[in-house]
Amino acid sequence: MFRLIRTLGAFSTAIDRIAGVFLAAITLLVVASAIGRYVFTAPIPDAFDISRLMLGVAIMWGFASVGYRGSHIKVDLFAEMMPARIRRIVDLFAWTILFVFTVLMSWKILARVMSAQASGEATFDLRMPAWPFLALIWAGVTVAIVTVLARILIIATGRGTLDHFDAPDVATTSKDDDV
Amino acid sequence: ADVELRLSHWVPPTHPIQTLGIEPWVESIKQASNGRINITIFPAQQLGAAPDHYDMARDGIADITYTNPGYQAGRFPIYSLAEIPFHASNGKQAAKALHNWYAPLAEIEMSDVKFCLINPHDPGTLHSKTQVKVPSDISGMNVRPAHATMARFVNLLGGASVQVPAPEAREALAKGTADAITFPWNSIYIFGIDSETKFHLDMPFYISSQMLLLNKGMYDGLAPEDRQVIDDHCTPDWSQKFSTGWADNEYSGRQKMIDSPDHTVYTPTDDEIGQWREASKPLIEAWKEDVKAKGQDPEKIYADYVSALKELDSLF
Amino acid sequence: MSKADLVAVSGFVLLFAMMAVRVPIGIAMGLIGVGGFAAITGPGPALNLLAQSPIRVITDFNLSLIPFFVLMGVFATNSGMSRELFRAGQAWLGFLRGGMALSTIAACGGFAAICGSSVATAATMTKIALPEMQRVGYRNDVSSGVIAAGGTLGILIPPSVVLAVYAYITEQDVGKLFIAGVLPGLLAVLMYMGAVRIAYRRSLPAGQPFEAREAISSLRDVWAVLVLFVAIIGSMYFGVVTATEAAAVGSLLTALIGIFRGRLGYANIMESLIEALRTSVAIYTILIGAVLFGYFLAITQTPQKITAFLVALDLGAYGTLGLILAFFLLMGCILDAMAMIILLVPIVFPVVTQLGFDPIWFGVIIVMTVELGLITPPVGMNVFVINTIARDVNLFTIFRGVLPFVVTDVIRLILLIIFPAIVLFLPMTMN
Ligand code: NA
Ligand code: NA
Repeated sequence: MFRLIRTLGAFSTAIDRIAGVFLAAITLLVVASAIGRYVFTAPIPDAFDISRLMLGVAIMWGFASVGYRGSHIKVDLFAEMMPARIRRIVDLFAWTILFVFTVLMSWKILARVMSAQASGEATFDLRMPAWPFLALIWAGVTVAIVTVLARILIIATGRGTLDHFDAPDVATTSKDDDV
Repeated sequence: ADVELRLSHWVPPTHPIQTLGIEPWVESIKQASNGRINITIFPAQQLGAAPDHYDMARDGIADITYTNPGYQAGRFPIYSLAEIPFHASNGKQAAKALHNWYAPLAEIEMSDVKFCLINPHDPGTLHSKTQVKVPSDISGMNVRPAHATMARFVNLLGGASVQVPAPEAREALAKGTADAITFPWNSIYIFGIDSETKFHLDMPFYISSQMLLLNKGMYDGLAPEDRQVIDDHCTPDWSQKFSTGWADNEYSGRQKMIDSPDHTVYTPTDDEIGQWREASKPLIEAWKEDVKAKGQDPEKIYADYVSALKELDSLF
Repeated sequence: MSKADLVAVSGFVLLFAMMAVRVPIGIAMGLIGVGGFAAITGPGPALNLLAQSPIRVITDFNLSLIPFFVLMGVFATNSGMSRELFRAGQAWLGFLRGGMALSTIAACGGFAAICGSSVATAATMTKIALPEMQRVGYRNDVSSGVIAAGGTLGILIPPSVVLAVYAYITEQDVGKLFIAGVLPGLLAVLMYMGAVRIAYRRSLPAGQPFEAREAISSLRDVWAVLVLFVAIIGSMYFGVVTATEAAAVGSLLTALIGIFRGRLGYANIMESLIEALRTSVAIYTILIGAVLFGYFLAITQTPQKITAFLVALDLGAYGTLGLILAFFLLMGCILDAMAMIILLVPIVFPVVTQLGFDPIWFGVIIVMTVELGLITPPVGMNVFVINTIARDVNLFTIFRGVLPFVVTDVIRLILLIIFPAIVLFLPMTMN
């Protein structure tokens, strides 16, 4: 069990890195496109569609990571007043709800991907098919099913909680992977 | 009312589409059904994003949706013919003509919804910060296109397309992000763009053609007398009626600009019009390829389109 | 009560119940949104909302400025820009009695000019200024109170992630909103400084002697912050680039400056990217929930009903505004700033515009109101962050220390309501 959880932790870190690289790529693309437009009056074709679709991919993969870490924005006030045993039940319940939502989203987004593939939806300028991007987004949600389940497992076995203090609008320094 | 329906669209509730198109249509249905059918309007993307309106009708998120098929590039290849420039000469007759032409094709291309009405705006044109007379003037320009087909055209002419939502178009022009925009006439005033673009090309350049779509399950589930009322409101004549108010409203902007000393409205010569038509040929070729790829006969569909427009005296 | 009303009321009750037991706020909103929609349309269409909306939100180009501004703040933090600001503040203000507290406030204001988050501003200043203040003999309540309050400048002085989200929700020009935050932000800096001197005058340690050479040399290091702020806010003010482009350019520039100074290596950059992404994901999750919840509100026509109800109370424009702000303050007891803006603004915004208030002005007012929530008990994010980083300073001490600043915040809020020009003057000069 312990090894499984370790593996999941490493997996989550890998996800983080992939999504981080995506974020870097999107930033560069938007800057390059702005320079292309203002300096050379030659914007990069499809920069708009590609950057927004890639951002979607990064966010959904990040969603998987955050589901593992437990650092979604939530109201901790009441949970923190409860005794540890009850708090564990509350944590389990909360992440089970997240799990249900993630499963529903994965199911529905898969339908969306298939619809996009069948209908030939494409990007604006180059008419690249849109569905591969949507499929990557779907993959992110689906990975989130696994990572959320992993956190539920961690809570259930008493190896962790949702007590992280990950601030909502940022970047504290915490590197608090508690497993 | 016995039947409560939700109609979703994406423009503000004060837009002529709602006040001059949707509201009279809804009211007429209420009257014709003796109050049995009541339709609640949800404007301004309250129930979903503009590009999702086709799927929203299919999925029943709304019972009736006002959809711009052009918002999803590549999804409705046949209908995108309506977006190719230099075909329709006005918005009202063309609405009826488009309806006549597309109704049978909708069975093929939009089979998971029930097609009801077509609502193009009055033909829009090119509004720019510096004068444009011929296609080669577009080269090196940043243009905010109306839809994906216009974006293709701009690219074809050596310009670049700049994607911003309509409400942000003014800002994009003011900031120099865009040098020109394709828009219907009066919308230039509605969106306050008249302070940015001073040059206008006086020709029916292009249309953007929306439609009203119904959820199939809802439609099939209606009592026969109610379904009859809806059928009576999904006719070519209703397409024209629905489109008239907005088309007139847009067209009025043209006269306003001609009368204004601040604006230069340029009427291209026959030779220049010829150049524009010639320049747009590759769009028609590309469209034919797309349609062929879907297993349809582009030559016949194109000929039908042209003759439908001609029949109602709305071919440019 | 109609069926729609019943569904709406039960929706809100369930929403708060779920939030109380730690269900992520965005997920609770999303589920109630879908469930409430299902109660009206049946489950099929409602579930299909999940096929469209989440993708629309995460692929919305206009929202991408949020991760970019978050990233910029993280790069600024990780490349030590807050330390330089604090040093410059010390060099110029350190000679005054309580000079270090004043420098901290100035540094918070400076850091806020390149970082869009209050919690990030409070966090980084805690690490840099708190130990220094403790060293020279500041009481813990004074030093932590200064940082908690100074941190709130992060979302008032542009760039601001909260103002960006407000702009998205209410479809306002984000550039104008940012510019509108400038004067109130400066006013806040001055008022916080005044509060330090007035409220704590007896306990403030003496300053250190002024050193001209240190003062001059300290400026050599803060150029980066100045360049970034001018480049970003200046280019937005003069309309050279769009807000999203400004944000992307800003984050890239910040990274380049960090690399150029040898303070950002590969590992730092990777960490910053991941940190920024996690923070952004947390915000996007609430946005996804909010959009779904919004469809539920729309279909039950709740905002219209609340508007009608509030207008019918006939409290007058300012009476109603007061009621709304009081409600926000109350919600600030349990919700964090971002969640409040996303959840509540769509509900009250129609009322506010109907009463004739300027949407840009209201954006700044509401951000200042949620700012108060960041430093008031029981849930005060900035206070929690300080407490998490500085374990030796307990929550009660910080809440006590922050009290004088709460008072100035309220006074400032009233000032801006009486003189809206303080907010609107700069944006009116744009274009
Ligand atoms: Na800021
Ligand atoms: Na609070």
